[in-house]
Amino acid sequence: MSSWLDYTINGLIVGNVYALVAVGLALIFGVSRLINFAQGSIYLVGAYIGWVAVVQLHTPLPLTIIVVAVAAAIVGLIIERFGLRPLQNSVRIAPLLATIGISFVLDQLVMLTFSPNPRALPSQLPDVRFQVGGGTIGPLDLLIAGVGLTSAFLLFVFLRYSKLGWAVRAASQDRDAAMQMGVDVNRVNQAVFGIAAALGGVSGMLVGMYYNQIDTAMSLQATLKGVVAEVVGGAGNVPGAVIGSLLLGLVESYGVAVFGTSYRNLFAFLLLVVVLVLRPNGLFASARQAPPEPLTGTFIAPSRPVRIPHWALAVAAAGFALLPLFPVSFYVLQTLINAWLLGMLALSLTLVAGTMGQVSLGHAALLAIGAYTSALLSLTLNVPVGLAVIGGGLMSAALGTLLISPSFRLRGHYVSIATLAIGEIVSLVILNWESVTRGPIGISGIPPLSLFGYDLISPTSIYWFSFAVMVVLALLQGRLLGSHLGRSFRAIRDDDIAARAYGLSLNRYKSLAFIFGGFAAGVSGGIAAHLYSYINHETFNTQQSILALTVVILGGLGNVVGAMLGAVALVGLPEVFRVAAEYRILIYGIVLLLLVRFRPQGLLGTM
Amino acid sequence: MSNIDRRTLVKGSLAAMMAGAAVSRGALADTSEPILLGVSGPLTGPNAQYGTQWKQGFDLALDEIMAAGGINGRKLAYQFEDSQSDPRQSVAIAQKFVSNPAIVLELGDFSSPASMAASPIYQRGGLVQFGFTNSHPDFTKGGDFMWSTSVSQADEQPLLAAYAVKRLGLKKLAVLHLNTDWGRTSRDYFVNAAKEYGAEIVVTEGYIAEERDFRSTLVRVRDANPDGLILISYYSDGALIARQARQVGLKQVMCAASSVYSPKFIELGGEAVEDVHVGTRYFPEDTRPEVQKFIAGFKKKYNGQEPDAFNAYAYDAMNMAAAVVKIGGTDRKAIRDAFTKVKDVPSVIFGTATFDVATRRVKGAMNAELVVRKGQFALWDGKPT
Repeated sequence: MSSWLDYTINGLIVGNVYALVAVGLALIFGVSRLINFAQGSIYLVGAYIGWVAVVQLHTPLPLTIIVVAVAAAIVGLIIERFGLRPLQNSVRIAPLLATIGISFVLDQLVMLTFSPNPRALPSQLPDVRFQVGGGTIGPLDLLIAGVGLTSAFLLFVFLRYSKLGWAVRAASQDRDAAMQMGVDVNRVNQAVFGIAAALGGVSGMLVGMYYNQIDTAMSLQATLKGVVAEVVGGAGNVPGAVIGSLLLGLVESYGVAVFGTSYRNLFAFLLLVVVLVLRPNGLFASARQAPPEPLTGTFIAPSRPVRIPHWALAVAAAGFALLPLFPVSFYVLQTLINAWLLGMLALSLTLVAGTMGQVSLGHAALLAIGAYTSALLSLTLNVPVGLAVIGGGLMSAALGTLLISPSFRLRGHYVSIATLAIGEIVSLVILNWESVTRGPIGISGIPPLSLFGYDLISPTSIYWFSFAVMVVLALLQGRLLGSHLGRSFRAIRDDDIAARAYGLSLNRYKSLAFIFGGFAAGVSGGIAAHLYSYINHETFNTQQSILALTVVILGGLGNVVGAMLGAVALVGLPEVFRVAAEYRILIYGIVLLLLVRFRPQGLLGTM
Repeated sequence: MSNIDRRTLVKGSLAAMMAGAAVSRGALADTSEPILLGVSGPLTGPNAQYGTQWKQGFDLALDEIMAAGGINGRKLAYQFEDSQSDPRQSVAIAQKFVSNPAIVLELGDFSSPASMAASPIYQRGGLVQFGFTNSHPDFTKGGDFMWSTSVSQADEQPLLAAYAVKRLGLKKLAVLHLNTDWGRTSRDYFVNAAKEYGAEIVVTEGYIAEERDFRSTLVRVRDANPDGLILISYYSDGALIARQARQVGLKQVMCAASSVYSPKFIELGGEAVEDVHVGTRYFPEDTRPEVQKFIAGFKKKYNGQEPDAFNAYAYDAMNMAAAVVKIGGTDRKAIRDAFTKVKDVPSVIFGTATFDVATRRVKGAMNAELVVRKGQFALWDGKPT
């Protein structure tokens, strides 16, 4: 079967491409235990700097590589110095949010400078092709493989045998101890970010040349695949990242071979979940490696939450409830409806991420499950809409908890990555399970919201309905947090070993948190489906998951009021910045960065 | 609650008050004020490129409309709100437009989820939602305020199938399509038409929009042993597929849908897109006056840049909007009724456009059979490649 040879070669070729990003991610994770969401943006910046060098300055290839590496390294150093170093003594989760903010800003800057149109980035290597199997490979394939393998090898040697490399490893194992031993931790971080950024920039350029195409959308996709590859290889393990990337490429290629193109990413993310469940430290973690996360809860550090007196909350709630009676435009009401829907999602996420310590990056999947269930119940079985929405919530609670349960044994960042993968899997199943979900065509003609036979059509009634649902969910959650159950959740978050020693069953409590959280998110998705009347697999995407996490961190992890406040802020700000037209997402990113910088524990603090 | 809350609210109500002020001014029927259209579309986010292409098409059409004296002496202008093609933002924009009486007609949004989520609001608000890239078969079923000049795929795909099967003589086809509502609908219409014309479909492969690596997909295609590849793609992914098809050693004829028709397709695809056949709605040497005017005007306004399919859709849409407003005036309901009355509007895509009142779409798109020769789109000369 010569085709299998071709599938293998193609898998290795694309694995090469993933490896370039994964190595940079692994290096940064190895030192600062941080998934650098800005790595894809540096990759994007590198591609565009490469375009300027090649197309406008006509530099030869070696010079192009040097220019891109130096420029990207400078970007990396700036990110480290001004974006991340000020956060090094704050909550673990703050730098994660900062990298998301930085990636917004960088992507937008590139888009504004170069316009969003894709550009051709011509390869500077001679166009000779070598016949391998049924297809051909070119010099660029070899160069990409060379850069990936060489950089992994050099980094491996550097970390193992050079003095600075020792310092890097010492800092990654125990930052404080390394500092006491005289290691200049800041210099170490600088070195790591500089190297990783140079590598990221060069890889963006090479991949751009490989496809003869660069555009501003390449950043998120590169980060996603890079993260998958890195974690499969063992987070923080540089040679492992290369092997993980090749493996990912092979699995995708064989997946296409057996089941067809539309199943491709499904296999990538299934591989990730399987590896995480079976070998949480990655395929190539050594047995004596220290656990990837500290045992006790420094991932989500407690802070003093801002206590808002009950009367103030009641006044605010009454104010919002009475708002439609004042002459406010439907636009403001619609924006707030969006905020309430996001607020329900944030309540759900703040419970599982903040209170329970399971930071989920796939929460949009719960919205999608709720939305599809509710839409299909009302359309095909003629269930009244009010009941269908509740059905959506229940299905989301049940299915979400079931899907997430394999990752209950994971900790810290690994939960985030596993949930990210589960989120993608749900979206891909929706795309492919056509007999039920109608695939890419989506579901149209979903009936509007109605309650006891009355249609809720006017923005005012939808506003009241969604606000009321959110407030009820918030009150229930507040009650939950104050109860014995809430204390158990926090105990598990802060120290799961101690909690277990006290006889708490971790899986049972995690399930309970996801059941409650899944219900809230599913209801939000269900309402959205009836509001939009049309949904497809793109309606609830990864960006929604990232937005939800941003809301939760901004409001303060585990903080019920904070979740609602964060939702209003993050739905409201981009609307307020509309006057800035194309610049609004840039401004939004900068505001987000400033908030993280000065309020890393969130606006209202962790509960 | 906190300051941010209050501030957002204050700003919101301020905006509402300002909108109110604008109304009272508008009510004085000031003819020096431009007639305002609302546009909801992506200017940032993953689809930002299409929003910028719309703007180019709109601006050119507006220049020409002004030069011809505007709308009965009044100016025509548009307010572009960035939705990122996100349903959450397009619904808010819909409320914004509906509650702003100065807006007489809405154009957009780009993607189906964003457009169709906003449809109920436009329908209830009584503002026409004129979607000119919305090929989803259910878009105009949203209500009698939903109108579209997007070429129905039920029209377009049989033309492409006829080109591939009847003209090029291909008998065993492999179809690669974007796995979106557009790509999927197109694929189904194409497959039906191609079968009717006597071709066999040996494999269909749907890929997601973010995909960049097609080598393994193309091995599947190769193993199905087709004599032609059909690309139901946009220009960026179409160019990627063409390049990689040549790399994995596929030498079959390729035939692509009109959405690849863009100078970018050739720039990104390079030599690999040479001899790719494209069924389009217009072509550069087309002698129709509206096409010549469009291409010459576009090149003049944008420093010699060649227009592409999305520029043309936007240009046509703005001209159609102007024609409708000329008949309907500034009353929203009258504008909706004007869509049923407007006849034979000159159009790059349709030649002349008249709505079919039953479907609220335009039928009878023009057809041009092009092929890439020496890095240029040229009319196909009938010679096999």
